[in-house]
Amino acid sequence: MKQLDPLGVFAIALVAAGLVPLLGSDYAVSFSIQLLIFLVLAYSWNLIGGYTGYTHFGQVAFFGIGAYVGSLLIFHWNVSWYLATLAAAMAGAITALPLGGAMLRLKGPFFAIGMFGLARVLEAFALGFDGITQGGTGIYLKPLNDLKPLYYVVAVVAAVMMLLTWRLDNSRLGLKLLAIREDENAAESLGIPTTRLKIGAFVASAVAPAAMGCLYSVYLGFIDPPTAFASNIELTTIAMVLLGGMGTVLGPLLGAIVLSVVNEVLWANYPQIYLASVGVIVLLAVLFTPRGLVNIGMKGGWLALGRPLFRRPVQPASQSS
Amino acid sequence: MADLQRAGICFMPLTDLLIGGILLGGVYALMACGLNLIFGVMRVINFAHGDILAVAALSTVSIVVGFKLPFWLAVVLVPIGCALLGVLIHLLILRRIENAPMIMSLLATYALSTILVNVAILIWGGGYSGLPGVLGGSVKILGANVSVSRLVSFVCAIGVSLAVWWLLQFTRFGRAVRSASQAPELASISGIAVDRVRLATFALGSGMAGLAGVLVAPAFAIDPQLGSRFIIKAFAVIIVGGMGSYPGAILAALLLGVVEVVGSYFAGAVIGSAFLFLLMLGVLLVRPRGLLGAGVRI
Repeated sequence: MKQLDPLGVFAIALVAAGLVPLLGSDYAVSFSIQLLIFLVLAYSWNLIGGYTGYTHFGQVAFFGIGAYVGSLLIFHWNVSWYLATLAAAMAGAITALPLGGAMLRLKGPFFAIGMFGLARVLEAFALGFDGITQGGTGIYLKPLNDLKPLYYVVAVVAAVMMLLTWRLDNSRLGLKLLAIREDENAAESLGIPTTRLKIGAFVASAVAPAAMGCLYSVYLGFIDPPTAFASNIELTTIAMVLLGGMGTVLGPLLGAIVLSVVNEVLWANYPQIYLASVGVIVLLAVLFTPRGLVNIGMKGGWLALGRPLFRRPVQPASQSS
Repeated sequence: MADLQRAGICFMPLTDLLIGGILLGGVYALMACGLNLIFGVMRVINFAHGDILAVAALSTVSIVVGFKLPFWLAVVLVPIGCALLGVLIHLLILRRIENAPMIMSLLATYALSTILVNVAILIWGGGYSGLPGVLGGSVKILGANVSVSRLVSFVCAIGVSLAVWWLLQFTRFGRAVRSASQAPELASISGIAVDRVRLATFALGSGMAGLAGVLVAPAFAIDPQLGSRFIIKAFAVIIVGGMGSYPGAILAALLLGVVEVVGSYFAGAVIGSAFLFLLMLGVLLVRPRGLLGAGVRI
């Protein structure tokens, strides 16, 4: 049977993304912006969570940093939104570098708790320093008349993230990251510079979310601490990667599309159970398809074998502790 | 914090701050001990622990205000209900991913936390509620005004925490729990049903979170988001005290209660509670095993 080529899938996705603003309604553009923002977040999380294997509950911290850096620049100095987005991305990289150096000394649950706490600290600071950030009132930005330029920017970032992931998956660098995921000590003893690579993956997974934070606040025309550091953004992102397949090229794309459509339907019809159902989706994915939907394709033979989680035989709990 | 002011602690002299902090720490201790116990035996970080507390607190309000039943009945019923909820969570979810990589249990409990918060919002609405009539009034201790509800919750919380510690140290069940946490394989060779010990531990830990929730109800403003505010403090406690160390958790809970109250007094409520997280991050980076931790290897 002929196997799907990830690049072909990307090409189809790119063409579809290009057609949306030409053929679709304003609603379609608006929906696609959200989908693409989450696509970028999912691919970014996949770098650190899927390939390097670190449970990262603090990606939304960088999303929030980007949102605030960008909106404050626009709000106080009237910077145009694409320059503000560049500044937000740089702010993401600049904060991620020292944070990565410090936090990645932690492993497993310690890293998860540390990053989870960090996002909450930043939210508290955004609320507390209300002289600069307007606190809980939030910052109102001038709404954009035309969302299409914003759409194209997000689409280009998404395409870049997908291509980067594809390159990574086919490179020695990607294999080194997977080695860290599977056994960090063994990787270290084979001469892989684990610390440097982990920090690299961490920074790479922070830059695009920071930019997306800025674009999201421009898209909404508004930002406040609970929106910028929303734990449901974190959960939705992780749900997408997990549902599609962690540490795979096509997983985040598949997960983001499926979950965005499901979310949109739920949000339109049952807004009150929307968040709980994202939680249920994560739980079901953990219990029944921990390797993600792409694994079905791999078993069926129409996807090249990838390296989703648990490639090696599972360790008994007693040994891993 | 708004929570603190509601409880009627007047912030002036240092003794007031210290006593207020230690009383606050009691509830943290009970909650963190449950979390720590679960981590020790199952190597699972339960992100839903705080939400069990929130659900317990909201149920208490419903029992006392809604059904007009006495408070002591809630003290008995709600922790049992939470322990049963814990049994369900363990049987349906955690037991099935025992052998999976740690990331799976982290994701599962994180998702569970979101589910519990949102189900709680569906049932109780998003607003604040409380039990102003229960255990009202205040007494003088060392010249400081202390509300009765705080005092009672502190005494109960520390009492139960110490009782569970005694249980772990000096009973057959406690020995089984400790051996299952230190060497699960040897424990099962020696005839301990590790699976059942894990189930019992998770139920016990959830019940402790439930009791903490009941005790929090008269002293704090309660809403479905309460859990996410408390869980991060419980994380801070078990990290500062040392993961898996029971006395460390009690000590750190009292310490962090004081830090939070003093920090809120000098730097304002929002930044004050951020002090806890900063302290936690500091301990994570400088001494990840915590003050009294034995250095649990993950």
